[in-house]
Amino acid sequence: MRKVVAKRLAGAVVQVLMVTLLAWLLFYVIARFTGASPAQRIAGKNATAAQIAQVSAMLGLSKPYWQQYLIFLGHLATGNFGFSFVQQRPVSEILWPATLATASLVLGAAVLWLLIAAPIGGYGGLRPRSIGDVTGRAVAILGMSIPVFWLAPMISYFLGYQPTQGELAGLHILPVGTSIFPIDGYVEFTTNPVQWAYHLLLPWLTLAIGFAAVYIRFIRTLTAEQLSEDYTRTARAKGASVHRIMTRHVGRNVAPTVAVLLGADIATALTGVFFVETVFAIPGLGYTGLSAIQNLDYPVITGVVIVGALFAIAANTVVDLSHAVLDPRLRRVTEPG
Amino acid sequence: MTAGIQAIDTEPGAARPAGLRATALRRLRRDPVAIFAFSLLVLLVLAALIGGPLAAHLTGHPPDQQFANAVAADGQPLGVMERTYLPNGITHDPHGSLFVLGSDALGRDTLVRVLYGARISLLVAIAATALAVIIGVTLGLLSGYLGGWVDATVSRLTETAMAFPSLLLAVGIAVVIGPGLLNVVIIIALFTWYYPCRIVRGTTVSSKRMTFVAAARTVGARPRRILFVHLLPQVWGPLLVYGTSIIAANIIFEAGLSYLGVGVPPPTATWGQMLSDAVTSGMYQNDLVLALAPGLALVITMLAFNLMGDCLRDALDPRAAR
Repeated sequence: MRKVVAKRLAGAVVQVLMVTLLAWLLFYVIARFTGASPAQRIAGKNATAAQIAQVSAMLGLSKPYWQQYLIFLGHLATGNFGFSFVQQRPVSEILWPATLATASLVLGAAVLWLLIAAPIGGYGGLRPRSIGDVTGRAVAILGMSIPVFWLAPMISYFLGYQPTQGELAGLHILPVGTSIFPIDGYVEFTTNPVQWAYHLLLPWLTLAIGFAAVYIRFIRTLTAEQLSEDYTRTARAKGASVHRIMTRHVGRNVAPTVAVLLGADIATALTGVFFVETVFAIPGLGYTGLSAIQNLDYPVITGVVIVGALFAIAANTVVDLSHAVLDPRLRRVTEPG
Repeated sequence: MTAGIQAIDTEPGAARPAGLRATALRRLRRDPVAIFAFSLLVLLVLAALIGGPLAAHLTGHPPDQQFANAVAADGQPLGVMERTYLPNGITHDPHGSLFVLGSDALGRDTLVRVLYGARISLLVAIAATALAVIIGVTLGLLSGYLGGWVDATVSRLTETAMAFPSLLLAVGIAVVIGPGLLNVVIIIALFTWYYPCRIVRGTTVSSKRMTFVAAARTVGARPRRILFVHLLPQVWGPLLVYGTSIIAANIIFEAGLSYLGVGVPPPTATWGQMLSDAVTSGMYQNDLVLALAPGLALVITMLAFNLMGDCLRDALDPRAAR
């Protein structure tokens, strides 16, 4: 067990190094050949020559590339993401609350899409070609086909904006000014947990639908596979109820595989964060990154890319480690006795 | 030559390629969902190729032209089936030009632009997928066939690439290298080559142990011939299935980049750009068609490709009853 954990953590460290190397290559080396110098970009359009020289000296931009990369890594390791000249604040001060908001959004959405997909997918695997299964699969393929950047404004419009105009699904049945769901504003968890969840309901739903669709199909296939195994037939022959087979036997064997997929998909979900956060005005990484792109705020863009990638690697690592815990076979092999 | 070698092979899987293709086609022809998806795809291609110019010709509205009389005095664009305004910008001109799906905030014809948007979507997605498949197949074949350090390097590369939040980095790259059609194709291919790569590698590893490869080697076939004549045909099936869903994913990818303003630059009509124009300005809350038209176009396109991918997978599944 300890060996598995150590190997996985070493893998994560290699990934982190590769990510930072890629980000550095992109923003410091490739960027140099496409126009303004990195120092000019970081200091901003209105920077004086002295400011640019200062930035250049701090980043060691006149030194050889390998030294520049080490300086870059050193800054990151001490939590120094640079200074945003556009916002006149250190980048780490901007990124920390944004990361918390994005984590709330993505992790909450992951819980929601599992809650939606597990029963539908499990039922589909248990009763293939039943009405429930066919409907579930049709809904899944439709859900997979709806891009999140269209779903976000549609959900915001129909569930958030329209009720304030006294309408629901095009019918004037509500008093004007009704607010069922908030469509903007974000409350931090530490400020008020109830308001936090209430304000995140629509964003969670938006982000979860596409993934729920994919997971319905995953879980359906995995469940059907497990049900065709000998051990489930044995359990049935012994008179175990369907409920017991699904929860005690099938569920336990499906969970580790789903957990691994979850790690990769939390990284993918960061893609949707751009769109969901801008539509619902959540001050997370996507929102911050996008406004940084519009303002050409390079230190913030670099920071968002790195933190996003680190977040994805962290999710993958945690999930892989929990896989080792969830999968009884892995436990037995690595911990004899 | 190939036929002779396959005849020597006694494994049941060896006769599969020709038989599987015929079976798959027969299954597809009998599958109503496949026929529906295929018809949708044909319609889409027709819309992209001739729909745009035809609509522009019939309405007299080129896709990028802004009509001042298609926006009201208060800035509100035309609604569905409305005609252009009189110079006062308040009353509609009964003899004015008809905008079937209305106009956008700049007075451009929504219908014409949605039809032209299909061109960019399909062009970018298909070009990027082709590029990704070429890279992925080459690396997959090599790493699967050669094994050793080549395989180890390619595998680590795919794992790292898959761990990245792709759009985040793609936007970063787009900001640095700038927008443009070719750049968008390259960026998308850069983030999708590993799907075909993994599939081709897996298939190559399992089929290189089969007897027909050994037979080919016995009669003196060189590695290049074994790779392209004997192993490559084994991966067509899975490649076709995944290629279809990669095209679907790439359509979303392109639209996402356009939506974020780092795709094919304006004034070229793209679905992502049209959506983003409607949503970021908040204009869609007054005129939902602005968001519905490009959004539904995207959903229908995605649905067609996803359904087709599913049907191809079912039809090519050798385990399914014939």
